[in-house]
Amino acid sequence: MELAKNLQTTINRSYGKTDLYVDLAQSISGVLLIGFLWMHMLFVATIVVSPELFNTLSEGLDRYYLAQVGIPATILLIIVHIFLALRRAPVRLRDMRITYRMAKMMNHYDTWVWVGQVVSALFVGVMASIHLWIILGAWPLRAATSAARVASTGPADATWGAFTFPFFIVFYVIFLIAGEYHGGFGLYRILVKWGWWERHTMGWVLKGITVIIVGLGIAALYTFTQIAASLPAGGVIH
Amino acid sequence: MGRQLTISCFRYNPNIPGDKPRMQDYKLEEYEGMTLFVALNDIREKLDPTLMFDFVCRAAICGSCAMLINGRPRLACKTMTRTLPSRFTVMPLPVFKLIGDLSVDTGTWFRDLQVRAEAWIHTNKKFDFNALEVRMDNKIAEDIYDPEQCIECGCCVANCITANIRPDFIGSTGINRLYRFLIDPRDERTDAEYYEVIGNEDGTFGCVGLMACDDMCPKEIPLQENLAYVRRKMAAAGLKLTFQGVKIS
Repeated sequence: MELAKNLQTTINRSYGKTDLYVDLAQSISGVLLIGFLWMHMLFVATIVVSPELFNTLSEGLDRYYLAQVGIPATILLIIVHIFLALRRAPVRLRDMRITYRMAKMMNHYDTWVWVGQVVSALFVGVMASIHLWIILGAWPLRAATSAARVASTGPADATWGAFTFPFFIVFYVIFLIAGEYHGGFGLYRILVKWGWWERHTMGWVLKGITVIIVGLGIAALYTFTQIAASLPAGGVIH
Repeated sequence: MGRQLTISCFRYNPNIPGDKPRMQDYKLEEYEGMTLFVALNDIREKLDPTLMFDFVCRAAICGSCAMLINGRPRLACKTMTRTLPSRFTVMPLPVFKLIGDLSVDTGTWFRDLQVRAEAWIHTNKKFDFNALEVRMDNKIAEDIYDPEQCIECGCCVANCITANIRPDFIGSTGINRLYRFLIDPRDERTDAEYYEVIGNEDGTFGCVGLMACDDMCPKEIPLQENLAYVRRKMAAAGLKLTFQGVKIS
């Protein structure tokens, strides 16, 4: 056994704890972000119950500085998560080619889902930035301002004559689906990597939750357009 | 009359100067109970003696005949041709070094893995030739039996995107191998010592969780459970480590 002991001391270099911390931080930031996302969608869906409830909640978040602290914290968390998760993604062209070929050749469900996660991450990253930019420019958030924003037909209608297109509805439907897809399957993957549960059952539970949240989001968007239609002059941009 | 099978085989011998990778079709008649292993032997016997592929046991124990069958890594000897369409492809496993046609060198890869993962029992007990073997608890023996079934066929390495794009990743088979020693009471290594071996990006923290290994393992080893166990165990060990140098002994 002396040989074995010598091998252990000579072959291995000490990796320290960085790899562990980084992996753990990626999972924790992911869990926090999906927690935020689901809570956000539940809060937004209060519009379906009544605009008054939505406004009360929104005013409460402002009054107790939850929004003022929560939004910068979430932005920071997103940036951290991007950096941590990016080291997993195939970033070199060679890696992308291998990933795509393997996924296509094996046609394995979970592998394809992960490719989808990488793609949806790009959508979420860009669209979350746009979303944040717009809502922060139209502070404070209330039922009327949100409705006007969702229903607005974008800057094109002012310059392009009669041309109108519901940019924001399309934007938010894509954003909603991409976000929930990325988050839902992200949580699935975190639980697969760390958890005790059989993944097929767990996958169906998470898919169920995701469908419900997407449903709530669509219902909220629809309610916003209805509110916007009832506003004077069809609401204002932002 | 059985079905007419068309097997599209990858052909390339790196040892022949000027040889080019290509797909070659072989037609043969299927018969009752035919496995791909039998079909490939038929081809070599009757159609083309130059076709290279590996096999030893023809009973899913040696792990030699793993190859991409219609794109998925499987054992040729455990694949009945009747489960496949009448035309299908066979290609060598990726990641491993190609010897020729369908034959790859998994040995070098696994040898390297065993050394890096220190895949042997570490103990200070002196072996007594005259003493009776110490009895093992039945529950532990059964727990060890699961990961121990790994035949090192390389399917879980071939179907892992991480193993494909990161050459140093020890793969599902490597983590499963360490799991086998982690739960073996005869191995006297502390968690901190195990952490030194796989508590890093090339080991347990490198796994992305794509679970192709779990879905396609020919021995149906519960890899999801085993990998998650090692990850939790190593995270716990890592968070407690002080790193004033890990003690051996």
